Amino acid sequence: MAEEKEGLTTAEVLRKTRTYGQVRCHNPSCLGRLQPEPGADRVKCPVCGMEFRVTWIKSGFPRIRGPVWDVNVKIAEEAFQRKMKEEKKDGPQ
Amino acid sequence: MALNRKIAYIDLSTGKIEIKPIPIEIRRKFLGGRGLDAYLLYNHTKKGIDPLGPENVLLVSGGLLTATLASATARTHVMAKSPLGGMIGSANMGGFFAPELAWAGFHHLVIKGKAEKPVYLWIHNGKIEIRDARNIWGKTVTETQWAIREELGDEEIKSMVIGPAGENLVRFANVMTGIKNSGGRTGMGAVMGSKNLKAIAVRGTMDIKIAHPKEALEYNKRFIDQITSAKVNQTQGTLGTPFIWGATNSWGGIRCRNFQYNQQLYCDEIEPEAIDEVCTQTVGPYHMASCFGCQVHCRAKYRIPSGPYKGVYDEGPEYTSQGAFCGEPDCRSIETLLVGNHLVNQFGLDNLETGSLIAWAMELYELGILTDKETEGLELRFGNDEALLEMVKRIAFRKGWLGDTLAEGGLIASERIGKNSFDYLIQVKGVSNLHSDERATPALALNVATASRGSDHLRSRPAIDLYHLPEPVLRKIYSTPVPYDGPLSSEHTEYVGKPWQVFWQENCYMAVDCLGICKYHTVFLGATLPNFEDWPKVIYYNTGLEFTPRELWDIAERCNMIERLFNLREGLKREDPYRGDMLNHRYFDEPTRRGAPDVVGRVIDREKFRKMIDEFYSYKGLDENGVPKPETLKRLGLENEPSHLL
Amino acid sequence: MEIRGKVLTVYPEKCTGCRLCELVCSVYHDGVSNAMRSRIRIVKWESEGVYVPMICQQCQDAPCMIVCPVKAISRDEELNRVMVNHDICIGCRSCVAICPFGAMGFNVIDRKNFKCDLCDGDPQCVRFCEVKAVDYVDAERISLDKKRAAAGKITAAQRQAIALELESR
Ligand code: SF4
Ligand SMILES: [Zn+2]
Repeated sequence: MAEEKEGLTTAEVLRKTRTYGQVRCHNPSCLGRLQPEPGADRVKCPVCGMEFRVTWIKSGFPRIRGPVWDVNVKIAEEAFQRKMKEEKKDGPQ
Repeated sequence: MALNRKIAYIDLSTGKIEIKPIPIEIRRKFLGGRGLDAYLLYNHTKKGIDPLGPENVLLVSGGLLTATLASATARTHVMAKSPLGGMIGSANMGGFFAPELAWAGFHHLVIKGKAEKPVYLWIHNGKIEIRDARNIWGKTVTETQWAIREELGDEEIKSMVIGPAGENLVRFANVMTGIKNSGGRTGMGAVMGSKNLKAIAVRGTMDIKIAHPKEALEYNKRFIDQITSAKVNQTQGTLGTPFIWGATNSWGGIRCRNFQYNQQLYCDEIEPEAIDEVCTQTVGPYHMASCFGCQVHCRAKYRIPSGPYKGVYDEGPEYTSQGAFCGEPDCRSIETLLVGNHLVNQFGLDNLETGSLIAWAMELYELGILTDKETEGLELRFGNDEALLEMVKRIAFRKGWLGDTLAEGGLIASERIGKNSFDYLIQVKGVSNLHSDERATPALALNVATASRGSDHLRSRPAIDLYHLPEPVLRKIYSTPVPYDGPLSSEHTEYVGKPWQVFWQENCYMAVDCLGICKYHTVFLGATLPNFEDWPKVIYYNTGLEFTPRELWDIAERCNMIERLFNLREGLKREDPYRGDMLNHRYFDEPTRRGAPDVVGRVIDREKFRKMIDEFYSYKGLDENGVPKPETLKRLGLENEPSHLL
Repeated sequence: MEIRGKVLTVYPEKCTGCRLCELVCSVYHDGVSNAMRSRIRIVKWESEGVYVPMICQQCQDAPCMIVCPVKAISRDEELNRVMVNHDICIGCRSCVAICPFGAMGFNVIDRKNFKCDLCDGDPQCVRFCEVKAVDYVDAERISLDKKRAAAGKITAAQRQAIALELESR
């Protein structure tokens, strides 16, 4: 039988980084920790600028419900225009 | 004992039934479940058979640990040659069927031939009977199950059945059990239908001796704590799989309008919390249900809140239904989602395939490749909810030219529709892609392209790739039980290190499928969940069999290789767009336009993709064409296949 | 403080229907997996999604105890449970027939009746049920909890009635 592993398990390693009262930005390249104001229904990521609607599972436990569409759609459109311009300059990567 | 569960050979043409033990040497090579099914399929079918002919073999199984204390041993596996793409056909479902089958004395059923008229199997404490199914033919999924209970006078009977779609040989018909537990993808329901087999009913009260009951109980308790303390499982247990869809759509990883966009916009009505509200209103605050022995309880219960189906009870909808009835066709009504989910459950249709094909047809209609002539006046446009639900019905009953055509699956349908319709078909090996868009996630793209049963997210997807886990955490997971010191990247848009992750996941998921455990109980969505290091104890306490983590890994690799051998025998070619490890050209040519800034403007890089495949092949011991090298077969003990040991 | 009896209690609306309790019960008592041997059984109305755990109520005036012709069944006041003495039991199954909850089982393999023994004070079903659809609590607390729940329902109904009345005015 395999012996117990020494040191910390993956669960323990990750548990150390667990935070409460915060949510992670949905942008996979950002994943910034966002701390909505208590009771707020929106939160803006200070790092990447994406904005999300917030729901509260209970007091102190926020969850992202979904994007603030108008804001994030605009960010996406700008990013797309920018990248297409860059691509024309450098040719396809 | 789990180890004394039997294998039964049932010939529906002759009515002959043979019951045999499963030798321990076979267990040590293939464990059970999907792995042993793959061995049986390779051994009991001949090259090039018609998947809907009597020569195809239908395999039904539980895993080695089914009904024991291993935290969620609910899964039933079903295998045959697929009528959808002609490759490995394989379906896996939760519920309560496999445990009942194990209590009835069986782990594996090998069903051959074709019954002259509709029949069903009745399996009860070691006995198997072939019964007349005239009275249940034509019934929906749940009607069939309740009718069998009534006919046999036992409310505890669990049945695996087909609905009208399976009877009508829709090439992506499901096998189903309970309200919504679906053995989906690859048309196992059509294979059942082609054999005139409407249902398999089981009831068992035979003991399964647990080798070390005290230890099994204690270890299971630890396991459950580990599983329920994972945050992803807690969310799963309140919002179900829709939460994955919601989060993924939020950053732009969801197909919309077939493959035109990678995000559905302004779809607040169908986001997870909105679905949850309907469940709460129509069922109550406690509306989550479980499969056998599972403490994750990810299945929601609901009643349709409005419209012509108001008040109808069903379960789900899973994120595949959100993909099928919301994102892909770009419909945004919760009623459409809940009704669509209900229809596919009752007809026994694969929601994912159904939604993908309809979305494809919608794109063809908008492009003028399909016209009102083929749709018989139906305005098959994106966002047309009525047209979407109407097409679901037409497919299940093969109604009209288009209903009948789509029921044949994408490959045959694209031939019939002609023009350049194939270019728009988002599939791999004849199986439509999941509702996810992998253009920004090369690891996931590699998984989809190389999955054995055709495009699939449950065969090798390194889903945790999106969490940007620190490198040491990734290394901890991906370098056991076999050492790996190559690169690993936390960056989801990267190409390096991904082939190893996909290879590791492929073996991990195979092991889980052999054991009969649910994937939410391993490294799929949660990085902290049990895997190779933890399973030897569970197996030992429950069955008394001893394995090292490495041995389990080798078994998984062997079983995956058998699936590969089957696919190669049926014509798999590396870059063949029809039956290869290949993606639709749009992955490489059309950049994503929506989602998070870093996700926008992404395509899969052809050259880097090719390199990933090369590397993936090398880990598997395949040559550059994807064919196993002789030394690989030797290492895995497969040099003499088919070996006909069972 | 006086020691109050603890009781096994069920909250059916919370049950997810997983049947893990059945599995652990049979493994704990008999060392096998077999739902048929479980002392707790989940009765389901699948087409409506209703699951109800059924257990022995450990009745004060237990019908099984009264009907047993050889007095094999008795109450254990310390753990607040009804127990069968298999040395005395003659296997007539009168108890199985009379139990209004179907909580007395008969096992055809061992040819013995069986019932919940509260696992000697550490009920395994409770230990494993994450959603606490079965719980083991002070009898006193339950009746208080249930009173509160019932009272809540009544006041909610009253509030609703008042609201309706106000609306219709
Ligand atoms: S363990 Fe709890 S949730 Fe599962 S069936 Fe038993 S009572 Fe219901
Ligand atoms: Zn951010």
